[in-house]
Amino acid sequence: MPPRIQSRRVSNTLLPYLSSSSSSPASHSSLLPSRQFSSTPAQQTKLRREMFAWLNTTGATLKHHVPGETNYVTGVVRNVMSDGGSKLPFPNNPTFFSETVLSEELRNEIYARVTQQKKSIRAVSVDMGIDMNRVAAVVRLVELEKRQRAQGKPLALPYARAIHEMVPVTPLSQDGERQTYHEPINDLPAHPSTGAQIFYPVPESRKFTRVDAGRVFSGAPAMDHETAAKISHPSDLAEGIMEKPNSIEWVGKGDNARQVLQPADVRIPHPQLVNFEIDRINEPLARRERAERQAQRIKKQDELEQKRRERAQARREDRTTKVEPADSRFEYHFHDTVVSKETTGPHGKGHLAPGRRYGVPSEDRKRGIIKIPTRVGA
Amino acid sequence: MVLRIRLSRFGNKHNPFYNIVVAQARSARGAKPLEVIGTYNPVPKQPTNLYDENANARAFKEVALDRSRTKYWLGVGAQPSDPVWKLLSMAGLVEPKPITHNKA
Repeated sequence: MPPRIQSRRVSNTLLPYLSSSSSSPASHSSLLPSRQFSSTPAQQTKLRREMFAWLNTTGATLKHHVPGETNYVTGVVRNVMSDGGSKLPFPNNPTFFSETVLSEELRNEIYARVTQQKKSIRAVSVDMGIDMNRVAAVVRLVELEKRQRAQGKPLALPYARAIHEMVPVTPLSQDGERQTYHEPINDLPAHPSTGAQIFYPVPESRKFTRVDAGRVFSGAPAMDHETAAKISHPSDLAEGIMEKPNSIEWVGKGDNARQVLQPADVRIPHPQLVNFEIDRINEPLARRERAERQAQRIKKQDELEQKRRERAQARREDRTTKVEPADSRFEYHFHDTVVSKETTGPHGKGHLAPGRRYGVPSEDRKRGIIKIPTRVGA
Repeated sequence: MVLRIRLSRFGNKHNPFYNIVVAQARSARGAKPLEVIGTYNPVPKQPTNLYDENANARAFKEVALDRSRTKYWLGVGAQPSDPVWKLLSMAGLVEPKPITHNKA
């Protein structure tokens, strides 16, 4: 069988169309690779004709972006090019929209506040309205960028500039202006144990709060009246738990043991904002006092967290012996584990015991098993 | 029959991970052992380069071990295999084996 004659450029036929906008699609037939055995021009389907007609008229505006505006099809289709353009990349999917990103100045300001002014990540997060994880990530990444600059490594600056021109951006506020919040900072994912629909009859005379609801969801017995009477607002619990995280009650036995679900006031990233709001309602005039009290609350919480982190680190290092053999390139970290009836369990498959299990399938290929690192190690 | 403290391989292809186990010497590598006393991850981990003090840190390998159970099994005559002997000697549980060969 003779070899089939192929045109080498055939896979590139679409490219000359997309790169030129001035000429009409009909004239492009001459650009197509010549067909050796046929004199008829290449056939255009109706859809292709319509696509090029659109690209040369309405779609031509998409070819060059306007700095500060998005360059999405939705903007052209719905004709919203003013006010930063449309935030919807896909016209038929209104639930998907571009989130704003931090501007260059804003991220530099975050870095300066954390590293030079020595403000805590929590305080910066509250001031700027940026999630604490994001603040921490910004500090790490700016640090990394500085190091790369110092080492003379190339940075993708034109790319970054172009992207910042084309996506919505949270700017840094001018002096004296209030910073626009980048994102909600006190959000809480729905706790899985609150998914159950529970019919729980409560007498009308009884006060039933978020604290009680948490107990019902986790199957804990109701609080006695004295303890319940001491709690005037669910946020009262936050401080005690911040100081002693181990004071949260446990219910259930063995593998089923779980901590009592705390009200959202305790679990949110910034519980002190609840107290701030309560203060604001109770004493609307004493602004300076409120701000001072708030700063103290943040400071106290930061100190507690710092102490807890240090304790955890010390505990971790206590459990680890580091050995550096002379004839090895590596260091060896020995952790202590416990093999006992309590850890292995009666069936020998307890998850507290060391080692991969026998007779338990590995779940690493299952859906929902996260393999990317979710925290930054030391 | 002889008891051995040895490694049994878990993990996937190109991603080894070992349980340190106490087993009968003639049982299969993947057979259920008498007891799992620890783990050994031979894939070295690099400390993050986020901190300057980590710049010259060595890569490390992680070993988890129950010392008291190891001592017990050594006391009743369990014999460590060579790789486990190396680990146990680093942990200070057995004397290091004398080097019988000279490196070229």
